[in-house]
Amino acid sequence: MDIRILLVDDEVDFVETMVKRFGIRKMPLDSAKSGQEALDEMAVREYDVVILDVRMPGMDGLETLKQIRERWPLTEVIMLTGHASLEAGMQGMNLGAYDYVLKPTDFDDLLDKVRKAFERKQLNAKAHKQGA
Amino acid sequence: MPRPTSRVPEPAKRDQGPDQGILARATGARVWKDHSLLLWAHFLVPPVLAALVVAATFATPLLAAILAAAVLGIAAFSARGLLTRLSGAEESRLALNSQLIQSQKLAAIGELSAGIAHEINNPIAIIAQEAEWAAHLVAEAEKAPGADFVEVKDSLREIRSQVDRCKNITHKLLDFARKREPVLQEVDVARLIDDMARLVDKEASYKNVTLVRTLPQDLPSLRTDAPLLRQVVLNLMTNALHAVDTGGRIEASARADDQALEININDNGSGILPENMDKIFNPFFTTKAPGQGTGLGLSLCHTLVTGMGGTIQVDSAQGQGTTFTVRLPRRPGSKP
Repeated sequence: MDIRILLVDDEVDFVETMVKRFGIRKMPLDSAKSGQEALDEMAVREYDVVILDVRMPGMDGLETLKQIRERWPLTEVIMLTGHASLEAGMQGMNLGAYDYVLKPTDFDDLLDKVRKAFERKQLNAKAHKQGA
Repeated sequence: MPRPTSRVPEPAKRDQGPDQGILARATGARVWKDHSLLLWAHFLVPPVLAALVVAATFATPLLAAILAAAVLGIAAFSARGLLTRLSGAEESRLALNSQLIQSQKLAAIGELSAGIAHEINNPIAIIAQEAEWAAHLVAEAEKAPGADFVEVKDSLREIRSQVDRCKNITHKLLDFARKREPVLQEVDVARLIDDMARLVDKEASYKNVTLVRTLPQDLPSLRTDAPLLRQVVLNLMTNALHAVDTGGRIEASARADDQALEININDNGSGILPENMDKIFNPFFTTKAPGQGTGLGLSLCHTLVTGMGGTIQVDSAQGQGTTFTVRLPRRPGSKP
């Protein structure tokens, strides 16, 4: 089953590279340039894993994370951060992020985390179905 | 006679380890099968020997003396053994009791604070709305010539920022009380610890603090809830970072035995005051200056670890540092 991934980052170069690299692995990757764009995108399409930059102009990553967790609690979010800010890290984990990836990103590491996040989403979805 | 062990928490009852055996035997609650022989020996050996002494007195006084000495020796030995076991049992009973009281207390405080947070959320929302409305009115009135509302605007801004602060606390509290059903995944714990340590590294370097990882290559993976464990590890590391002085040292280590995987976060800070040891996991307990910390970090860790079926403990020596130990069961549902 394909993993539906959304990458949210305002750095165009980074996003382009990631789209290519995921593309090579036959994993299509959608992208959004801002938190608001991500929420709009998610309202139309369903995503399994969102890779979300912490620092973005406008709605920042943490606020976006909060809204994603409220509206799509099953979607897992991996936070992406260039500056290893501890405070943001704590807040992100406390707000329900699945994991953190530091920039510059090791691609295999990110891929592995995306797979783990997807696995969790499926486990969670299964548990929800059984509970319902 | 009521069984004195009835206050032992549920998971401990299943465990028939040495402590539990001693506890049961010494308190007379229940004699386990494998201990009954020992008990019989306790009661039967002395009278048998005493009878032998009496019999020997009639034959030869020397044999009688030797036998009497042997009887005394055995009696003293078994009395000492009994005493040790009794005091050991009493100690473990007290430890179990205080553990139980601690977790019940935390649960009660958590429930209470979540209730308060929930109630306070509504008035806070109204205050925020009214402040917004007042700001709007001021903006309108400011359009009149000669109007000066700088101070009013300042005060409104302050109201909003304080309301945000309250909201932050109530949200944390409600989050804290939320029941989380762990989702179990195969987790590479060594990597997880290293990942979280990398988030702390930079901040640590500002303080000239070294964050050492002692993670064995062959640390087994663990079926547990990955994001919850990340939260715990990150909270404990941050806590350690706050506890050490400039130039301090933090060590994150992990090891596994048959039952559990153990994570240790050690710091060489000033340690926890003995009178604070009991309160360390209480919600809102903090030694930081007002506004610097909500005092929810460690209590959150306690809630999360307990929810994962594990235990969290703290050891601290004044002036030497503090170690937090998290033990997670390697087989879900078993005792860590």
